[in-house]
Amino acid sequence: MPHVEVLPNSASVSAPGWTYVVDTGYDPSKAPINPKDRKRAAARTQGRRGDNELTARQQTAIARRIAELDRDNDPKQQIAIPGKNVPAKTANARRIIQSARQIKHWLDEEEALAQLAPAPRTAATSSRAPPSRKLSTVPPTPAETTPGPTSGFMTPLPREDIDPLLSIEKTMAPPLSESELDALLSAPPLSYAESFATLPAGGPPQRQFCDNCGYWGKIKCLKCGARICGLECKDAHESTRCLKWA
Amino acid sequence: MPPKGSRKSASSLPTQTLVLDNGAYTLKSGLVPAGSSNLAYDGCTVTPNCIARSSRDKRTYVSSELSKCADFGELAFRRPVEKGFIVNWEAEKAIWEHEFLDSKAKEGLRCDPRETNLLLTEKPNCPSLLQKNCDEIVFEQFEFARYYRCVGPTLNAYHPAQPNSLSSLPQECLLIIDTSYSDTTILPLYSGQLIQSALRRLTVGGKLLTNYLKELSSLRHYNMMEETYLLNEIKEAVSFVAPSAQQFGQNLERTWKGRLGDKRNLDPTIVLDYVLPDYEQSIHGYARPHDPAKSRMRRGLQPLQGPREDLLPLGNERFAVPELLFHPTDIGIQENGLPEAIMQSVGLLPEALKVGMLANVVVVGGNSLIPGFMERLESDLRALVPAEYYLNISRAEDPVKHTWLGAARLASQPELLKEVLVDKAEYDERGSGWLARKFAGGDTK
Repeated sequence: MPHVEVLPNSASVSAPGWTYVVDTGYDPSKAPINPKDRKRAAARTQGRRGDNELTARQQTAIARRIAELDRDNDPKQQIAIPGKNVPAKTANARRIIQSARQIKHWLDEEEALAQLAPAPRTAATSSRAPPSRKLSTVPPTPAETTPGPTSGFMTPLPREDIDPLLSIEKTMAPPLSESELDALLSAPPLSYAESFATLPAGGPPQRQFCDNCGYWGKIKCLKCGARICGLECKDAHESTRCLKWA
Repeated sequence: MPPKGSRKSASSLPTQTLVLDNGAYTLKSGLVPAGSSNLAYDGCTVTPNCIARSSRDKRTYVSSELSKCADFGELAFRRPVEKGFIVNWEAEKAIWEHEFLDSKAKEGLRCDPRETNLLLTEKPNCPSLLQKNCDEIVFEQFEFARYYRCVGPTLNAYHPAQPNSLSSLPQECLLIIDTSYSDTTILPLYSGQLIQSALRRLTVGGKLLTNYLKELSSLRHYNMMEETYLLNEIKEAVSFVAPSAQQFGQNLERTWKGRLGDKRNLDPTIVLDYVLPDYEQSIHGYARPHDPAKSRMRRGLQPLQGPREDLLPLGNERFAVPELLFHPTDIGIQENGLPEAIMQSVGLLPEALKVGMLANVVVVGGNSLIPGFMERLESDLRALVPAEYYLNISRAEDPVKHTWLGAARLASQPELLKEVLVDKAEYDERGSGWLARKFAGGDTK
């Protein structure tokens, strides 16, 4: 009987599927450079993806997860109103009561309406272009277009006898001008999407947690990029939440 | 038919006002007679704003009927309010009718809408189409005599600044942090008026925290995705906010199980076991210090002993869940934490207002009841506020009912109320478009 032995070749190298990666930030020397690939070269000039930036797949997964966490009602389950059904008093009321729209439909419609109609022209905003509907970083305040503090009807008279070191005038805020206040109070409400706090660029990096146990996420899953804390959690992660096949 | 003038004068007689803070999670409601002077939190009734259906006993519970429910397992909820706005009027109408109009309604709340004013609160930045629907239902379906709708937290300005103050004018500068079920909003108020352009909102609210805890527990222990009620109860019982970001990291170390081959003991001062209710002997669970032997038993590493009970171990979930209010980026929400968002909002105001706002910060809403929340918010905010500014931040005595009480103070003053209320006859004549402009403070010509 001939002796059969499995010879090692390149295809049978056992890959564990994970590795400890020291997180030292971006090393340009390790970046794969293919001078022939113009598309990728063009993309690289706009900046390589940072360590905290995510792939499209991860971003979709996160957006979906947040939407799921923020959901009020489960569209799949229907709970009927108990008791007898009293008809609505007017046709208008009937239409509103029978409407089956969810909040996302209303918010979308509001967004669409705002784009159709020009921004309401108030005295404070008339000199500005209508605000863009995109989530801007900081919405312009009406204070920008109003003139500075008007003549100093409230500023205290200069007093020669007060020691300049003891003067509190410097530490006092400048008085509020009437026009500035009016502009602030008469500003129209923001749309729902515009009202959210934003994350300024250049803040501290996002904290990373283990996908399974919630401890610091020290290593990345090589298959999907999620963070895990160790071997035990890696096994649990792969059997439940790994995005590789999602 | 009597002449029109006589009817007008009859309807302007002071009557009672139904003050209704229509939250996504609970309705805060109470009838306030005009001119009443002894207003207190006791006048407010808190009822769930939902219709719940149990798949076990096949019963449907409307709002306050939920207190009769004995089995909260797999209870499904239908909430008429989504993201803070009344969306589903079919359910909201059923709840209002059950609570205020029905013959079985609670004595202090039952009223005839035709002889009652309605003071209704809403969340800021409400889509105008939903506001229009709301106005139409109030006048056409419920037929309230007179009605005023406004952004709820702004009414907190009607609380007297000093306990003995007799002034009925709203406070001049007030920064309200409303951390509620649907979201967290930051509202700078000047003389009771909202500065709309400086309003800021965070996605994180009580609902998101409960759902996050539900997701974590389901991933790590049992599948509890249908147990929203139970997880909300657990969240209220055990969660706490770490005193600082550094302390958060230390707590995380102390609740870590360790690596393979390097097992660590869990800190018994943080890790708890929550004994889950079985809905046969008990309807509410309770927390007790973690017992490692019990969790070994659960995993079959040790023979079972003692009474049979289901335990949910809670380690870093206790403080990592409310931490989302301070670090929404922990789960990838691209927003600032609450202290930074407050500074973002205040930064849009002129210097003089900034000083006034930071000296009068009041926190309302149920999330502020999480232990450690106020301490953390104050210390984080103090670190961001310039050193020469005075920072005074406090939690309302009862953060859930505080907005209602502010609204009740407005409702108890006939001369203030008369200016804002709209008559049904006037609505019938001029329509909902006019009403929407009036409530938005625009020109009503």
